[in-house]
Amino acid sequence: MTDSTTLVTTLSELREALARVALPLDVPEAEQHRRTRTEMVDQLADYVLPRLRQIDAPLLAVVGGSTGAGKSTLVNSVVGRRVTEPGVLRPTTRSPVLVHHPDDASWFDRARILPDLARTTGASGDPGSLQLVPVNSIPPGLAILDAPDIDSVERANRTLASELLAAADLWLFVTSAARYADQVPWDFLKAASERSTAVAVVLDRTPPDAVDEVTADLARMLTARGLSDSPLFTVAEGAPDAEGLLPADSVAEVRTWLNLLAADADARAEVVKQTLDGAVRSLARRSYVIADAGAEQAGVLAALRGDAARSYDEALTRIDEASADGTLLRGEVLARWQEFVGTGELLRSLETRVGWLRDRVVGWARGKPAQAERVTVAVESGLETLILEQAESAAERTETAWRSTAAGRHLLTGADADLGRASRGFRAEAERSVRDWQRGVFEMVREEGADKRSTARFLAFGVNGLSVALMVVVFAHTAGVTLTEAGIASGSAVVGQKLLEAVFGDAAVRRLAEQARSDLRGRVSNLLAQETARYHDVLDGQEVDVDAAERLRAVARRVDDHRIAGGAGRGSA
Amino acid sequence: MSALLDGAKRRLGRGGDVPSRIDGLRSAVEAARGRLDDGLVDDAAAVAERATARLGLSGDHTVVALAGATGSGKSSTFNALTGLELAAVGVRRPTTSTTMACAWGADGAGELMDWVGVPQRHQVSRGSQLDGGKADRELEGLVLLDLPDHDSTEVAHHLEVDRLVRLADLIVWVLDPQKYADAALHERYLAPLASHQEIMLVALNHIDEVAAVHRGPMVADLRRLLVADGLPDVPVIACSAQHGDGIVDLRRAVAERVAAKKTASRRLMADVRSSAERLSQVNGEAKPGSLDKDRRDELVGALADAAGVPTVVRAVRTSTQRRAAAATGWPLTSWLAKLKPDPLRRLHLDLGSSGKELTGRARTSIPESTPVQRARVDTAVRAVCDQVAGHLATPWATSVRRASVSRSQDLNDALDKAVAGVDLGVSGTPLWWRLVQVVQWLVMLAALTGLVWLGVLAVLGYLQLPAAEPPRHSGLPLPTGLLLGGVATGILLGLVCRVLVGWSARAKARSVDRRLRAAIAEVTDDLVVAPIEEELLAYRRVREGLATAGG
Repeated sequence: MTDSTTLVTTLSELREALARVALPLDVPEAEQHRRTRTEMVDQLADYVLPRLRQIDAPLLAVVGGSTGAGKSTLVNSVVGRRVTEPGVLRPTTRSPVLVHHPDDASWFDRARILPDLARTTGASGDPGSLQLVPVNSIPPGLAILDAPDIDSVERANRTLASELLAAADLWLFVTSAARYADQVPWDFLKAASERSTAVAVVLDRTPPDAVDEVTADLARMLTARGLSDSPLFTVAEGAPDAEGLLPADSVAEVRTWLNLLAADADARAEVVKQTLDGAVRSLARRSYVIADAGAEQAGVLAALRGDAARSYDEALTRIDEASADGTLLRGEVLARWQEFVGTGELLRSLETRVGWLRDRVVGWARGKPAQAERVTVAVESGLETLILEQAESAAERTETAWRSTAAGRHLLTGADADLGRASRGFRAEAERSVRDWQRGVFEMVREEGADKRSTARFLAFGVNGLSVALMVVVFAHTAGVTLTEAGIASGSAVVGQKLLEAVFGDAAVRRLAEQARSDLRGRVSNLLAQETARYHDVLDGQEVDVDAAERLRAVARRVDDHRIAGGAGRGSA
Repeated sequence: MSALLDGAKRRLGRGGDVPSRIDGLRSAVEAARGRLDDGLVDDAAAVAERATARLGLSGDHTVVALAGATGSGKSSTFNALTGLELAAVGVRRPTTSTTMACAWGADGAGELMDWVGVPQRHQVSRGSQLDGGKADRELEGLVLLDLPDHDSTEVAHHLEVDRLVRLADLIVWVLDPQKYADAALHERYLAPLASHQEIMLVALNHIDEVAAVHRGPMVADLRRLLVADGLPDVPVIACSAQHGDGIVDLRRAVAERVAAKKTASRRLMADVRSSAERLSQVNGEAKPGSLDKDRRDELVGALADAAGVPTVVRAVRTSTQRRAAAATGWPLTSWLAKLKPDPLRRLHLDLGSSGKELTGRARTSIPESTPVQRARVDTAVRAVCDQVAGHLATPWATSVRRASVSRSQDLNDALDKAVAGVDLGVSGTPLWWRLVQVVQWLVMLAALTGLVWLGVLAVLGYLQLPAAEPPRHSGLPLPTGLLLGGVATGILLGLVCRVLVGWSARAKARSVDRRLRAAIAEVTDDLVVAPIEEELLAYRRVREGLATAGG
């Protein structure tokens, strides 16, 4: 008993673990895995757990098969009473009917089995309910459930039939002379055989002259598909009477077999055990598949996240490089800077005549705040262009990477915003950040210069001029100088540097430059982090639990251990 | 191909505009390949190919396929329609495993049966005049196929059915009371063929097994399912192949369609049209935008900037100024101008178009573009893409974007070449420089003459030798006048020329700027705009082709 209790506990855990493995990403085969997972959760709730908790419950034989194979007529004829409504029109849509002995009624309430289906006592067309019919003509210990068809255009019927068949202790599979080679029923039988569910096959609606040939062929097919142990019954095609029942002797064989099974508790327990063990084994086996699928999803998610991170890291690196190696100083910024400090020619004599130059510069810079302003603007527009374009191309790279996988494509289609572009407000954000940085540099210089306000040089350049010089120094940080113009650029930076050193001293200048540089870097990486967050938000919305797969695998292993130990124990007993 | 199609048109006669529709689909397929989803494009290509093949075959015959589930009585129906016991009938399922064909009116039917893929040994021909009665004459032009089932455990059968359902001109679905609502039939075949209802018939076989009172409701129920599949106009004929009920109706329905000889082209039309529709859905309907001047100018500007056009223009101006100053300045000081470095030489542009051959340089020495300049170019290219393809369907927006950067590897070299290839016009010497130069030297000579003269007078005076009084001109001795006038005129002329040189250097710079930008614009058109235009052309061709095919 404790044995079965631990199994119940473990299987409950399995069910929880299964429910937690979300498979939201559309990787190939995800649809199939999702379906499997739902089926497993349903089977645990509908059949395995209730069955384990009450191992003595009556044997539930589910009559399943194709539309038009004569399931309802067969059930009615076996019961000997019209309990379910057969129809000529396909597919017959109505709620499934469970026929049981009045004494067994308590076993079939909602709390015990098939909790999703409402119970009714009258016939209803609602496939979401289960009609209970107590009859005396059926022996206690046996219940017959007339399931909907498995292959009609009514999707609801098919789904419900699969669910009911998963809850069966015994499948009574009904087929007909026209049907017996159909693919869909055989797919079900194959699944049953793999799960070692107990199956009995009933060949219905067969013309008398064809019975022998069809029976032989059907038996051959059953053997070929590993179902040779399953009993095969033939119901001769006969005219139903006014009640819609077949002549009693047509179904005598089936009825006798069922009655015997109901009477023999050991045989019944054997059937239940076979199906139950098969179900548990199959659940454990499929759990690994689902766990793998879950792990794969987590992997895909991580890969997508990595794609986004890589793209934006690259953008950050590029902006970093471009803003530190002096190239930003060329072109527009250089031209404005040279205007600010004087003509390009002046710089050439720099090395020998720094002192003289400094004075010249002072002279040039005095009364030229407009030119300092122009350098600021040039720096601003250069940086903005750089950041904007890098953000755009990072978004484009990320989108391309995502689009190359099915899951990524699906996420992109589902996303609200266009993830192939920088976000809508990015330009404004970038402009604001660059201006904030410039303001920061300005403040830095102002603070640093607080006690030097009165010095002639400080006065000569003003806070504006010195801020501009500091920016120029920042941009020429690594100045790997080989090109002529980069040389000039670094030359300009040297001018800036000398200028600042003359005012603040060289240690302070190094510190200021470092501070300004890291401030810029911080702002840019903040900007890009906001952009990356858009992708992370989409991924976070997917609720893939990274640990769930591992947990599921662990529980499945425990189920397996338990099963093997239990099997061995029972074997030796 | 068009000759084949013309021939086909004659043969199929009433094909109407089918050939042009097929052509439309084919050209759409060609243009869409590599741009839209491969699977869809392949499907459409297969449809076009199949349709062309069918057009090339007998238009007097109609291929009618009997399709249905196992046990529905396809073979019995086949036998009942042909009046022969050709197809094997049995209780063992699935009974029929190979397709059987029977043709009435042999001319051209053999070819057709071969194309359909029925092996010779399963082909039967009924020469209508020889052994035929009225029934056979009625079926003149029919090629009847008995297909295997589509729902048994034999997967090979499904594949054969899938193949033949695509080829047959008319499909007769043989259903039976047990299986008429099977998902295998409705979801796999009927619903996807909703666009083909003109070429389908439904026969509800085994009707004799249903009690008379239930027959009406059952047919109505079947119709309900067909409407749900999107096939409201498909005729349903209840029949029993075994007892002959309704077979006459079925035979008449088939015979009418065969006699009309329109089914084949209708089928092709439906095929082509539905394929075009499927492609249209991914292709989108949006009109591509056109590239306006502002965007293009912005792009050319960004590229010109990246190619260093402003640097070159500035250099041209400085260089011209330097050379002009050297040529037209006062000779005593103008040599100083030559000492300044020539910025064009630094860029290796000073030797003109033949310079590269002389120096063997592959590139100019214009500085590499900066990241900011490159970023501006990328932004401009992206803006161009947005404008022309921003609202197109995703596959096209992507392919335009891809095309726009497809040649970006070549861009740097091409730009450099374009800049180097423009004749900067700095090697020649304008006539007025020479004139001024001559005048300068003449004036210089005059001054020199005055100086020498004065010198001689001075020497003579020093030696107390008598000398002729130099002639005077308005009170000033001529040599003094020559010296002073010469120097003053030279300097003055130099100053005046400096102003002129400034003007002309600016004008030269402007014209070089214009020419450089024109060259850059050409590169832009070649490497950025042309690939984009190519995609847009493909897009237009797909749209036009699909419009022809589906309209």
